[in-house]
Amino acid sequence: MEQPKLHELEMRAVYARTLCELAETDPRIVVLEADLSKASGTNPTFSTAFPERFINVGVAEADMIGISAGLAVEGKVPFAATFTPFASRRVYDQITISVAYAGLNVKIVGTAPGITAGPNGGTHMCFQDLAIMRAMPNMTVLSPCDCHELRACLRWMAAHDGPCYMQMIRMKQPRVFDEGYEFSAEQAVRLREGADVTLVSTGYMTPFALQAADDLAVEGVAVDLLHVPVVKPFDATTLVASAQKTGRVVTVENQSIIGGLGGAVCEILAEQCPVPVKRLGVPDQFGEIATEQYLFDKHGFGPEHIKAACRAF
Amino acid sequence: MSEAFDREEYDRLAAEFRYLITDMICRAKSGHLGGALSLVETIITLYWRVMKVDPANPLWPERDRLVMSKGHAGPVLYVALAYKGYFDKALLGTMNTDGTMLPSHVDRLRTPGIDMTAGSLGQGLSAAAGMAMAARMDQRAHKVFCVIGDGESNEGQIWEAAMFAGHHKLDHLIGICDYNKLQIDGFTDDVLTLEPLRAKWEAFNWHVLETDGHDWDDLYDTIVQAKALTGKPTMILAHTIKAKGNAVCENRPESHNIKVDDQAAYDKYMCALGDIECELPY
Repeated sequence: MEQPKLHELEMRAVYARTLCELAETDPRIVVLEADLSKASGTNPTFSTAFPERFINVGVAEADMIGISAGLAVEGKVPFAATFTPFASRRVYDQITISVAYAGLNVKIVGTAPGITAGPNGGTHMCFQDLAIMRAMPNMTVLSPCDCHELRACLRWMAAHDGPCYMQMIRMKQPRVFDEGYEFSAEQAVRLREGADVTLVSTGYMTPFALQAADDLAVEGVAVDLLHVPVVKPFDATTLVASAQKTGRVVTVENQSIIGGLGGAVCEILAEQCPVPVKRLGVPDQFGEIATEQYLFDKHGFGPEHIKAACRAF
Repeated sequence: MSEAFDREEYDRLAAEFRYLITDMICRAKSGHLGGALSLVETIITLYWRVMKVDPANPLWPERDRLVMSKGHAGPVLYVALAYKGYFDKALLGTMNTDGTMLPSHVDRLRTPGIDMTAGSLGQGLSAAAGMAMAARMDQRAHKVFCVIGDGESNEGQIWEAAMFAGHHKLDHLIGICDYNKLQIDGFTDDVLTLEPLRAKWEAFNWHVLETDGHDWDDLYDTIVQAKALTGKPTMILAHTIKAKGNAVCENRPESHNIKVDDQAAYDKYMCALGDIECELPY
């Protein structure tokens, strides 16, 4: 039977399939889970293909980070996944000291980022992980938007020697790229070219931003749409060039507007190209159990809000 | 006890360790004296009599590893590593100075021979468990020693790692708890009792051995015995005395982190070591 195409899969299935592909040729790859292996997608795909390289630590995220660090000391390349809040804020000190400060090659994967935590509600809806992981020296922070980019990010992370944190949407995503997508960790991706306003997005919000840009084009507003898969280190060159061209910038993210993508954009522009910026995302509030539409409307970062913010400039 | 052992020589070495550790900390004007002095015999026994290491090749794959999870005990490890030839003894005098390669808490990126960074308590045992897991995956025969503190054992992560290592029967892993019965704020029994500690580790599916952490024969025999045990990780409860050998602060909570503001304080801590002849290498 032919394998389903990548874009027909849930993102977590792409995660598991890509890790299996990597593990075939790279004996250093090991996978860690903290009792969420089915939620992350590695069980049963990876766990049955490579049982000796699959470690379920139980509900013990701090331990998972430490074990990953120990494996990395010995030259392994551990990919450790759990829900975003438990992969970031719960283990912030463990990642800081045992991984980043210790200079260890551990790949941390935060699943179900932001509002995609949906039915688990406020306790599981983490809006800070981009901000706090970005504040950590040595850490590369990624947020891929679709299946092809997820696979590309994983391949890059496996080859890159250094700690990484990646947000991973679990469900199926609209396609933004195709099989031929060439990921660069240094460069933002210009998805639409325009001179009226710069729109910067990452991860889950990029398909919405793309739709908004296309709708605005019909209205006669030309959006320069930058998708940023690597939030740190940030591609300041592309951002500044775009801001110089358009003179106004809107950011949108599935995160708090404090310290994440919008924060990074403001830091760079304030120093290198001060222009008006509007940040869309969650304005310093906790999550709650609700539909996506409700959360978009409450916090003002859905497709209609993106368009309104771009028009307002 | 099978190998030749010159007790006098080891006693002299331990005395020099205590002299240097105290001097290094005093020069730095502050530091974690008590928990370094309580480990002197343990660290000497490990590096001189038990562990397979090659100071000329600190990352030798076949070596035994040591994770100093109570990372503030850096000074005792630095003296051991310098004496074993990992780096020049003269560098011991640079501990905690600007740009030092010998920070108060151990750092694998700065010091040859340091296998893992530690300092935020409770994390080293997880890393040691990961290293033991890797040893098993790679079918290597070396051991991973992990020194934890008794106060450190208040941390929940210690027990997460304990459960993990017990579950996976990680017999590459040998823990040593520096059980000096004191933590920063007082006696462990007053702050947060660990007892019944032996029963706790046994309940987490570890072999448990106990030793007098200042008795050369007992320490050596116990660690050798631990190396031979299979099927489970082993925890050695090393009964020690905090600040052992320093009369002014032995078995006192204040020894955890001493402040040395002037010559009088320096003299106080150095004189309290008794009559030790030791030439400073720096």
